[in-house]
Amino acid sequence: MAGLGIPVLLSGCGGELSVLAPAGPNAQASAWLWWGMFGWFTAVLVVVVALWLFALKRTPGNAPDAHIRKGQSRWIIWGGLVLPVSTIAVVLAFGLPAGQGMLPQEAADAKVLKIEVTAHQWWWEVNYPDSDISLKNEVHIPAGKPVDLHLTSADVIHSFWVPRLGGKLDAIPGHTNILRLHADEAGTYRGQCAEFCGREHAHMAFTVTAHDASGYQQWTEQEGRDE
Amino acid sequence: MSERIQQRNHEREQRLAHVWGNLPGWGALAAVNHTTVGLRFIATGLVFFLVGGLLAMLIRTQLALPEQDIIESALYNQLFTMHGTVMMFLFAIPVLEGLAMYLIPKMIGTRDLVFPRLSALGYFCYLFGGLIVLSSLVLEVAPDAGWFMYTPLSSATYSPGPGSDFWLLGITFVEISAISAGVELVVSILRTRANGMSLNRMPIFCWYILAMALMIVFGFPPLILGSVLLELERAAGFVFFATAGGGDPLLWQHLFWLFGHPEVYIIFLPAAGIVSTLIPVFARHPLVGYRWIVLSIITMGFISFGLWVHHMFTVGIPHLAQAFFSVASMLVAIPTGIQIFAWLATLWYGKVVFRLPMLWILGFLVVFVCGGLTGVMLALAPFNWQVHDTHFVVAHMHYVLVGGMLFPLVAGLYYWLPHVSGRMPSDSLGRWGFWLFFGGFNLTFLLMHLTGLLGMPRRIYTYEAGLGWEWLNLVSSIGGFIMAIGVAVVIVDIVLHFRFGQRAEQNPWGADTLEWAIPMPVNTYNFSSLPEISTRHPMWNAPELVESIAAGEHGLADVQALRRDIYGSDATTGKVREVVHLPTNSWLPLMTALALAVLCISLLVKAYLLAVVFTVMALVLSLRWSWENGAHPRAAPTDDNEPGAPPLHSRTCNGPGLWGMVVSLMADGTFFVSLLFGWFYLWTAAPEWTLPDHSPIQLVPMIFSGLLLTAAVGVFWVLVRGLRRRRATHLGPGMWLVAALGAGHWALLAGQLMSAPLAPTERAHDAVLTVILFYLLLHSGLAVIFTLLQAVRVRLGYTAARLPYEPIVIQPFWFYTLGVYWLSLLAFLLLPNAWSVG
Amino acid sequence: MKFSPFHPIHLVLGLVIWAAWFVFLYGGLSVGCAIAPPASEEQAGTWINGAIVAIALLVGGYLLWCAYRCMHASSDPKLQKDDRLKVFISKTAAAVYLVSAFASLALAVPGLVLPPCV
Ligand code: HEM
Ligand SMILES: [Cu+2]
Ligand SMILES: [Cu+2]
Repeated sequence: MAGLGIPVLLSGCGGELSVLAPAGPNAQASAWLWWGMFGWFTAVLVVVVALWLFALKRTPGNAPDAHIRKGQSRWIIWGGLVLPVSTIAVVLAFGLPAGQGMLPQEAADAKVLKIEVTAHQWWWEVNYPDSDISLKNEVHIPAGKPVDLHLTSADVIHSFWVPRLGGKLDAIPGHTNILRLHADEAGTYRGQCAEFCGREHAHMAFTVTAHDASGYQQWTEQEGRDE
Repeated sequence: MSERIQQRNHEREQRLAHVWGNLPGWGALAAVNHTTVGLRFIATGLVFFLVGGLLAMLIRTQLALPEQDIIESALYNQLFTMHGTVMMFLFAIPVLEGLAMYLIPKMIGTRDLVFPRLSALGYFCYLFGGLIVLSSLVLEVAPDAGWFMYTPLSSATYSPGPGSDFWLLGITFVEISAISAGVELVVSILRTRANGMSLNRMPIFCWYILAMALMIVFGFPPLILGSVLLELERAAGFVFFATAGGGDPLLWQHLFWLFGHPEVYIIFLPAAGIVSTLIPVFARHPLVGYRWIVLSIITMGFISFGLWVHHMFTVGIPHLAQAFFSVASMLVAIPTGIQIFAWLATLWYGKVVFRLPMLWILGFLVVFVCGGLTGVMLALAPFNWQVHDTHFVVAHMHYVLVGGMLFPLVAGLYYWLPHVSGRMPSDSLGRWGFWLFFGGFNLTFLLMHLTGLLGMPRRIYTYEAGLGWEWLNLVSSIGGFIMAIGVAVVIVDIVLHFRFGQRAEQNPWGADTLEWAIPMPVNTYNFSSLPEISTRHPMWNAPELVESIAAGEHGLADVQALRRDIYGSDATTGKVREVVHLPTNSWLPLMTALALAVLCISLLVKAYLLAVVFTVMALVLSLRWSWENGAHPRAAPTDDNEPGAPPLHSRTCNGPGLWGMVVSLMADGTFFVSLLFGWFYLWTAAPEWTLPDHSPIQLVPMIFSGLLLTAAVGVFWVLVRGLRRRRATHLGPGMWLVAALGAGHWALLAGQLMSAPLAPTERAHDAVLTVILFYLLLHSGLAVIFTLLQAVRVRLGYTAARLPYEPIVIQPFWFYTLGVYWLSLLAFLLLPNAWSVG
Repeated sequence: MKFSPFHPIHLVLGLVIWAAWFVFLYGGLSVGCAIAPPASEEQAGTWINGAIVAIALLVGGYLLWCAYRCMHASSDPKLQKDDRLKVFISKTAAAVYLVSAFASLALAVPGLVLPPCV
């Protein structure tokens, strides 16, 4: 894992589908979680491996038995109990609230824009129930505020994923899952089906275009006219 | 003088070899000996590993550069599905089972596993099942929905070809072998340890295998259930996973991962057992924290059943429920941490001799700890939502699977090679193999974490240029080929060693466990006499055992009445309780497995009449098999216990058969509970579930049928109570009565199934009811047949007051049948009725 | 505890209880949310969260008591000298109970901060 750090730094974290180039608060939170865990876990790995290598080389002294027994329990208690328990506690303390923040909170913001997405083998059908707009393989959203995507599927299971905006959520036949997306700024973000769905799974891509407030207004009007 | 003794000893050992040996020539196919069967498992598994590896190389070739079309998507999907399937089901589990089957009896100081014919059956089921699954690749109709076969993609609508059927039927067939090995290992470890090998003196490897075997018993039935249901949906149109009619595709995911996650630990535990066995040997220091490790093993065994939803974090489960599974998943880090640091402490306080197996152990440590840490990351839901189903997961999974299984396995193979071949592996070629493999592995998979973070989903057959993935994939592919060269070097090394390796001396690594008291290369009966154990490290604290065992100074030194005898001992204290006489070479396992294979193939080609014929055939063969058991003269050709010796197990009331029955029923019970889970799951969560207004099944005849069953079990219970007190009055007529009552129950139940207006192809409710009715019929039907056979055996004198063994084995089966009957009535009939009324 | 503290069943009983608690927790949550879903502005202060924490304390407390019983039984000095097997079983069992208690309580921790049904 230590070796992973260098290429990450070298190549930068860019890329149109990169989790490490977040463009919205949810993706940002996930990225922070990653960097935090990456740093700490790399340290753990390096220390454990170093200790092992040292243990292989070390010649044991002639300590009295009682002393040795105490030392042995100490390894297990500090390394096997304290280390994992404290790590878990910290990870959860950051992770649970972060996860909660990414979910749609119904009551708090009832006026969030709703978009219906139905996955098909192998394309995405996008509907705006408020304005009768239908699109294929592209989603348009206002930047700077959350939108809710109501996901379902017409055939097999797919998964809707825009890495730079946030985590993925499955589109499952018979179920409707709500994914909250939030783009900080206007721009075009790539998305990709992330659950294996058959022959053309690799090509089941789409785009999310975020518009600033006036741009979004304009887009809605124009699309509405085209219908 | 001493020459005469030697001569006599030699003759004695020849008698042992004669009784325990396999038949010559083709007769080897009738072998049931654990050494033979274990080695067959290992060798076959390694061949499957090469096949899986070849598929991986094809995958890496296709992904090496962007937008290649060497392999088109339809084939690519078959390749990765088969790669995952072969590696998980046909390589990892069987190889480790084989290793356990080979080692366990030797480590616990006995001559064979308790159910030798079951070992052989398991092997043939594995072999035939594996060949059936592989044949699909040759026929170009391999399954292509991924190794976890998510519905509806794997359903008849979206995978109309036979690919999914190959998977469902073939893998289920292979699982029979896993469960039979599981049952057998549990009972062997608990009931046939060397005299005096109490739980606290058991080699640590046995604890790992005990946990693994129990996990197989509880872990595999959910998948078997899932496969049966999905196959019924595909072949007969029953509704379980399709939304229309009240099924739910998520039920499949739950059933699959209820198996799938424990499976990962089923693979890891034995491998960790190898690590815990080897490290103390090379550190020249007893394992630090034996009790801590036992605690970790038990904890892992349980907690790993509470993690399955972490594979389903993106299906839209409430966040709080996800958080429970996050916590449980992370808890597993604790027992893992304990083991890592116990190993570290062992090395710390020991004086390490660095030999070839240690190199692989070191590789294990680096790779596995890394995989474990990314596992903790993945357990955190908000991070998981990003990287789930990307190449990050592919990287993680190979770090834990290759690191946590393949590295220890190779270490173990090198370590136990001299045991089989009598020769030592070379150090130099082996080192080359290791470094090529280790380097290649990290080159392939380390950077793959980054590939995933840069957004590359898994299971895509090609990708565009310009997303930052090109160089990463190229490096991964190059690494993959280097790894393949490493594998080739290791294979060459091992093959060459059989010819050129130095002769190994006794106990060449200076180990502490009993398998090294056996002369090398290994013989068929392991121990020339069965030693008594008074320490956890017999070869360190009592090295003289090598001579005294060979000289026949311990138990069961000579053959009695041409029987294969071992000791049965108490599960906790390890004190000898009985002499277990094992069956000898038999063609029945092969024939039964063949019948099952034909059954499997006829289901594949939808020749249902043939399937019925071969089901009956398999049943008849297995009854034939059970016939030569217990007190049958072929099984125990003396009239009675030898004076002074422990009693023959067929004359006792609490023998290994009873234990085997109870452990098998645990697996069966898990199957039933999984079905109950499915029922309640669909009821509460399926989007279009409906309960009919009136249950299609009539309550009154069902209750009446249940009362008949209760009466049958009651009479059986009275008979067995008498037998336990060595009374057999009215035993024969009693058995007939039980069978008659049971048959009445069965007929009524069958009548219900025939007459009820069930519509399993329209409504999930009816589909589940149909399955449960068949399940109940199967159980009471089998119980009646067993009892009929007992009635005949009473007449023949194989079951009698002084031969109470068999009815006692059958009794739990009756109890189980009774229990599931009333429970089913409650859950599947009364509860919905009450619901509709209320 | 009906079995003697030296019975090997204690090596697994604690975790069996943990498993039962987990099943109840996961199943109960689904059923609870289906039958009486609390209003979402209550956040983590709902009756479901309350029940989760309360039951966790009960289960955890019981397991701790079992751990104490086994630990106590193992510390008999006479036993220490001549029955290593019994000491082994009861000490390991005590640790298993302790782990189960910890795991049972840990499961409920998310219940302190997260609302139940979203
Ligand atoms: C020998 C070197 C190996 C290489 C180069 C390799 C390579 C790969 C690759 C590239 C994939 C991803 C396929 C995709 O998602 O498109 C994959 C998937 C997988 N591999 Fe391996 N693998 C190797 C060994 C193993 C071993 C030893 C195991 C198990 C013990 C294993 C288990 C799996 C599983 C379960 C999958 C998932 C299959 C699926 O997505 O359905 N692999 N492997
Ligand atoms: Cu897809
Ligand atoms: Cu898992």
